[in-house]
Amino acid sequence: MSLKSYSRGRAVHVMLVYTGGCNGCDIEIVNCILSPKFDAEQYKVFLTWNPREADVLVVTGPVTKHNEGPLREIYKAIPEPKAVVAAGACALMGGVYKNCHGDIPSEEIAGPVDKIIPVDARVPGCAVRPQDIVAGLVSALPLILDAE
Amino acid sequence: MDDDKEKQTVIEAEIPMGTVHPAALEPYRVRLFVEDEIVRDAEITVGVNHRGVERIMEGLPVEKANSLTEKICGICSNSHIWNSCLVAEKALDIEVPERAQYIRIIMEEMERLHSHFLYLAHGNEVLGHETFAMRLFYIRETVMDLLGMIGGNRVQYGAPILGGVRPRCELDDKRIQKLKDGMDLMEERLAAFADRFVSDPMVMSRITDVGVISQKDALRLACTGPTLRATGVESDLRTEMKEYDPFEFDVITQDGGDVKAQLLTRVFENLESIKIIRQAIRDLPDGPITNRSWEMKDTPLTKSYIEVPRGTLYHSYALEDGRVRHCVIRTPSMANIGAMQHACIGHHITDAQLSIVQCDPCFTCTDRAIQIIKI
Repeated sequence: MSLKSYSRGRAVHVMLVYTGGCNGCDIEIVNCILSPKFDAEQYKVFLTWNPREADVLVVTGPVTKHNEGPLREIYKAIPEPKAVVAAGACALMGGVYKNCHGDIPSEEIAGPVDKIIPVDARVPGCAVRPQDIVAGLVSALPLILDAE
Repeated sequence: MDDDKEKQTVIEAEIPMGTVHPAALEPYRVRLFVEDEIVRDAEITVGVNHRGVERIMEGLPVEKANSLTEKICGICSNSHIWNSCLVAEKALDIEVPERAQYIRIIMEEMERLHSHFLYLAHGNEVLGHETFAMRLFYIRETVMDLLGMIGGNRVQYGAPILGGVRPRCELDDKRIQKLKDGMDLMEERLAAFADRFVSDPMVMSRITDVGVISQKDALRLACTGPTLRATGVESDLRTEMKEYDPFEFDVITQDGGDVKAQLLTRVFENLESIKIIRQAIRDLPDGPITNRSWEMKDTPLTKSYIEVPRGTLYHSYALEDGRVRHCVIRTPSMANIGAMQHACIGHHITDAQLSIVQCDPCFTCTDRAIQIIKI
């Protein structure tokens, strides 16, 4: 293990982006990092809102058309190496908002997330459970720690 | 005199925040017009979150549409599905069994508990006291686990269906015992938190006389819910709902309309909610929890108002061949946007975010309006 990946492992910063979901997943993610019950902070995983500081981008929501541009910019602003975790049914496949229209393309939804930015880990659930989020974050960590 | 005026250099600037901003969490846009660090005007723009839920609901079978309303908001999901069921029940004259009414009330009050805990935690995080925020998240876990136990999911637990509640949400003795223990635990922890919160001079000096909304302004801006009650107006739709008739509870009001009053209103409302849940558990009647003997028919536009954690929620739709037509939903945060803008004005720029958060915004609920473009 190189010095860089050792130090990266000591402070993993997670950035959470809401892209038009229902708030359920977002609160569970904040909950799993801040709340003393799940407490991802004890494993040195921190919540940040600054893309330049972040290592892992957690995206929730079906990505509305208004949020498509900001999401791309946030993804660009995160320094390499980076990982993207799509959390929740909406982020994975558009959820109820996209699929309700059937074959007619939705006028509001630009997502799901992997249409817009590359996704490394997928966390299913409506809403996602905090335990699953921790598992998803852990599965995305090798991308950051083993990077050259 | 004229020379003095020339010497004054008033810096006017616009500070945009959003749509993605560290303190805001949800995507919305705030424009603050400042004059020497004092906010002179504020403008909140919503619409980024628009997913068109009402349009998706158009033409869906009513049962399917009811479960879709749950996905409007992850915080008050049960309120939406409850009100949507109430519309259909009012239109089709469906009688809801008494036991189902009680279980609905228990779910709704638990939702109020977790919503208010989330509000208090978010408020404390914004005002800079992360320890309190974590403590509140910790207290909130109790109610989340109880909701998960009854509904099967921690967030989208929606209990009501047409004519009752889901069979999954039936309360047996084991669950009732867990509910009782949970309420005792939560009351103890909440009371301990409230004592520490009120006696903390640092927090109190940070939130007193910040983001003031006067009673007159609150009524003029048509605020609803705890935001209005924190200015001293006794307005609670629960006192007029027939579902709440068997229960005794106080309408909490506070004077002042500042952040302190807003936070304390929620703290005391949580204690009232615990009181209502205890009464509901104590008097829980026996009997069936679903009424399946009803017939579908075409109905005219029917509307329903209920009190949800953030204020008054409005749902209305008509039924045609068992399908939803002309669905309109109006959420309480929509009414409170005016108060959010007003609360920022005249205060320091650092208080702006706190002034917005104190009105308990939920913009994912609010963003359903269809944008009308001027031609």
